[in-house]
Amino acid sequence: MTTVAPERTEVQKGWIGESVARKEDKRLTQGEGVFVDDVKRHGMGYLHFVRSPYAHAHISSIDVSAAEAVEGVYGTLTGEEVAALTDPFFQIAGAPGGAIRDFSLALGKVRYVGEPVVAVVAETRELARDASELVEVEYEPLSVVVDARKALDGEAPVLHDDAGANLMWEGVYEWGDLDAAFAEADRVVTIDELHFHRFNSTPLECDGALVEYNRGVEQWTIHTNNQFPGFAAIMMGPAMRVGIDKLRFVTQDIGGGFGNKITSHPQLVVCCLLARKLNRPIQWTEWRTDFHLSMSHGNERWFHETEVAVKNDGTLLGFRTKALDDAGAWLRYEPLGGVIWAQVAPGMYKWRNIRVEFTQVATNKAPVSPNRGYSRMQQLWFTERVIDIVARELQLDPVEVRKRNYIRVEDMPYETPNGCVYDSGDYARMLDTALELIGWDRMDERRAEAASRGMRLGVGIGSTLDSGTNNFAQSRLINPELQFSGNNEVATVKLDIFGEIVVTLGTTPQGQGHETTAAQVVADILNCSPDDVHVRAGHDSYWNSHAGFSGTYASQFAVTGLSAVKGATDMLAAEIKKLAGAVFGGVPADALELADGGVRIKDNPEAFLPFMACGAIINANNAGLPEDLDVTLNCRYVYRPPFQVPDIERKFGNLTLTYAVQIHVAVIEIDPDTGYYEIVDYAAVDDCGKRINPQIVEGQVMGATAQAIGAAMHEIFEYDEDGNLLTPNFYDYHVPHALDMPPLHTGAIESPSPFTPLGTKGMGEGGGAGIHAICAAVQDGTGKIVTDSHNPYHRVWELLQ
Amino acid sequence: MDVAVSVNGTVYERDVEPRKLLIHFLRDDLDLTGSHIGCDTGNCGACSVIFDGKLVKSCMLLAVQANGAQIETVEGLSEGDELNALQRAFREHHALQCGYCTPGMLMSATALLRDNPSPSDDEIKTALQGNICRCTGYWNIFEAVKAVAR
Amino acid sequence: MLLREVDYAKPASVAEALALLAADDGARALAGGQTLINVMKARAASPDALVDLNGLEELKGVDLGADGTLSIGPMTTYAELVASAEARARPILGEVCSTIADVQVRNRGTIGGNLCSNDPTNHLPPLMAAVGAEMTITGADGSRTVPASDFFLGVYMTAVGPGELLTRIHVPAGRHDGFAAVTLGVDGTCIVNAAATLDGKLRIALGCVDAVPVLVEADSVDDVRDAVRAAHLDPPSDVHASSEYRAHLAGVLAERAARQAVG
Repeated sequence: MTTVAPERTEVQKGWIGESVARKEDKRLTQGEGVFVDDVKRHGMGYLHFVRSPYAHAHISSIDVSAAEAVEGVYGTLTGEEVAALTDPFFQIAGAPGGAIRDFSLALGKVRYVGEPVVAVVAETRELARDASELVEVEYEPLSVVVDARKALDGEAPVLHDDAGANLMWEGVYEWGDLDAAFAEADRVVTIDELHFHRFNSTPLECDGALVEYNRGVEQWTIHTNNQFPGFAAIMMGPAMRVGIDKLRFVTQDIGGGFGNKITSHPQLVVCCLLARKLNRPIQWTEWRTDFHLSMSHGNERWFHETEVAVKNDGTLLGFRTKALDDAGAWLRYEPLGGVIWAQVAPGMYKWRNIRVEFTQVATNKAPVSPNRGYSRMQQLWFTERVIDIVARELQLDPVEVRKRNYIRVEDMPYETPNGCVYDSGDYARMLDTALELIGWDRMDERRAEAASRGMRLGVGIGSTLDSGTNNFAQSRLINPELQFSGNNEVATVKLDIFGEIVVTLGTTPQGQGHETTAAQVVADILNCSPDDVHVRAGHDSYWNSHAGFSGTYASQFAVTGLSAVKGATDMLAAEIKKLAGAVFGGVPADALELADGGVRIKDNPEAFLPFMACGAIINANNAGLPEDLDVTLNCRYVYRPPFQVPDIERKFGNLTLTYAVQIHVAVIEIDPDTGYYEIVDYAAVDDCGKRINPQIVEGQVMGATAQAIGAAMHEIFEYDEDGNLLTPNFYDYHVPHALDMPPLHTGAIESPSPFTPLGTKGMGEGGGAGIHAICAAVQDGTGKIVTDSHNPYHRVWELLQ
Repeated sequence: MDVAVSVNGTVYERDVEPRKLLIHFLRDDLDLTGSHIGCDTGNCGACSVIFDGKLVKSCMLLAVQANGAQIETVEGLSEGDELNALQRAFREHHALQCGYCTPGMLMSATALLRDNPSPSDDEIKTALQGNICRCTGYWNIFEAVKAVAR
Repeated sequence: MLLREVDYAKPASVAEALALLAADDGARALAGGQTLINVMKARAASPDALVDLNGLEELKGVDLGADGTLSIGPMTTYAELVASAEARARPILGEVCSTIADVQVRNRGTIGGNLCSNDPTNHLPPLMAAVGAEMTITGADGSRTVPASDFFLGVYMTAVGPGELLTRIHVPAGRHDGFAAVTLGVDGTCIVNAAATLDGKLRIALGCVDAVPVLVEADSVDDVRDAVRAAHLDPPSDVHASSEYRAHLAGVLAERAARQAVG
């Protein structure tokens, strides 16, 4: 065995904290990414879903014979077949919602427009589409309920007889002493109704899959863009009556997720069943209209009869409210939204006395499941509206009211009234930074200048938290019978036979730069360059690099994923030193260091073993190594955040590990004659703890801002009274385009998390700060109280009348 | 119908149904999967290609309309395997996250810079107005194009 | 997203195109395709055959007469109209076309297609109505010229009948025009639009408020809102605007367009 003595080099600077250009970008800018619709297999059949045109109807009959008779049509699948072959999906809820029976295709009844009823598979996409028009489905329409506020009325039709009523879940959360708070109050501010609207993040790529079935080993390979394979596996395995290892999930490039690609498991089951039935690979592409009609709408939530106990100086003592959540027609990830909001129950404020009566109902609309900011965004919007409305009622400056009530940096880590722990953050300083960026001091001048042109300026602050890394034990607050808790993520790091560093992740990135940031973490520990670290793209069950909660969702990669990478790399580094120590004849680990692509004795750097030699020895040249040398150079690490099971009775305990913070300020100009308005200036200040790659972090802050702007001004899934979706495509569902973007000023501070191995916090979702800021700006500009999160031109005009 | 379509300098002769959209012809018949589909109403621009020198949405054209045409797609931008200046600028300025809109954005930016090598900020935004991105908020994309402009 | 089966032909002359259209009443003209292909994707309408007009040079070109009138081929794209030196004789044409959608749409979408599809939210029907354009329609029996006020008959319906084509658009000389719109985002779909021309009186055409552009006249800018009120508009309600809001916008935008026209 030879060693090579390199020239002594300077100590490597750290890669963590550097805006390293992304590894992913070469293939993506060349159009060489592999998105699910790019995957092809010989003989594959293209799948088209026949979907319900009714919001609520009995299915009296289904006749697929005409469709199946067409040459080139390979076969079909109906709800009755699904019910024979599978068991209903596991329900997170207990009674009453837990009683509903959810199959992958409609059985007996349709409950929302766009619900998949029959699947048709054919030789070409066009043929599958044509044949689907020959499927004859007879419906008997039923009456429809689209307004959640009416879902529990006597006249409302019941969607699920198994549940008895449209009530899916309810719970009361109360902490502190409401009576004392209201007794101490100088006044009670009441807000009759607040409404957070229904929309989602419309990733540019819709859901999809290419599913192959291996008859010999009875195993499916599911190429897909589902972003939470851990969850999909847990739902699909039992439903399909197969072990989870029979479901191999493979993802590579995913065209955006934002939470909206978590609940495609019913469609994946259909693909699996058809792959087995028809003995060919099944290709499914979800069209834009299908996505809008049926996939992952965000929680629409009402807050009724809100009462806020306040002092005259603007101190907030507490609040009570009745939250009404509209789950749509099925519970696919719900009712977890009924507890997830509690991660940020008090928002960013110090009040200690809180009561929320939470009710979730079913309606004849698309099923709700996570959308960027999932359930916390709604709660944070609520607290921000409260702040703004209280400030207005008391005629106080919203900046002062915030500062008076913000949790302070010296209180961190801060335990909220319900036992969540805010890890770190300096809200007041961030607010000041945002106000400086926006030129707060010059706002009166800007108002006057706008007025001179007949326009009304509105300025609004939106502050928010992005809680990340869930403790899944919070599911027990929804259903005490559930056996989930904690969280995890997995990574493997190995040295291959030629010394190549290879990393696999359990995550399913949709643009967050996991390959790059993982390489940065590895490079720092192994003291090499990220270019030397090969991170495999995407996710594959065969890599055995996943655990029950694997996936990319809920703002956690920088904590869970990168902590798993750190753990695995630390293990590998220790093993490399152990091996070298043995090879060098018994040198202890602390006398060794990793540098220059190998390992050497600190005091005698000529004694150097390159990684290539390490890999070669372990893999192909291991005779003569000590018998007890426990080294494989193939290290797998499961990161487990430090969580306990909360007190279910009191609904008290830590539900999430980290809290990123965002404070935004929006300046709008309203044309009072038309209600048309533009954002003329915008500031966004972010704190997500230690930033591994600041450019990647900033990119997601900007993206979240743009989505929030779209949601606040235009985007809505709005239904007519018959349950027809009025915004089923990008023609009517307007998302921001290039010319819609305002000037943007960004700032950042770093308050490392004391609870994570790298000091990082998850941050991808943002908490809808843009929505909060624009609502506040509309309120300021119109002089009227804003009670809805959706403020298109016509609403602004109505406010001005 | 028989068509002969030049894509990135190579002529492909195929028999296609008149109803086949150009984007499906590129992706399914020619295996050029770099151009993407993001909507079904011609709003998102993920399918943008250059058609006889003009930027178009390939989901709004039939393959048969491309008979005799010269089409340029994202696959033709690289110089060998090396990223061209625009692609490098996208990488340096973090003008892509998931990468799904990126081929369309690159074609729109390429078309712009050919006609107008020194565009103003407004001209850049106007050139990209037909391309939806949900990840970046566009700001970094503007910076990337500006960096390549003279 | 996927079209039904359709036949396709690309005629080399207008005469050939007319013959194809006359022979099959399920045949439709394909101009820019920026509307028709969408309609076919949604399967809201599925012609039996498409007659592609994109090879017909006779239907292109922008000619400026000595008297300042413009003769515009219907297959002129929005981008070509914006770039046309001749079209600058009536600047409002290029100004409005440059706000339609985006570069990709402007490179294929045509003025003829915009007029013949007559979607109530389109930009060009009210614009042509305000400037007092005339359309030449050609069929097997010959051609006739129809003023804009008689061209737009209903939602998606114009005076171009089966077996006929719009073959020329004539825009009179003039420069006192205005156009105002509230759109869904910048350069987005129109929620309400208004075009105005000063031609002795003010002639204003309101779009998005009825099946076809609604024409009102006023003597001065100050009379415009009353004139709009007197039209007793009953605009449609949809997810973007209530009827009441559209009616209000019509008055505001009509006045703004008129102000631009007066200069």
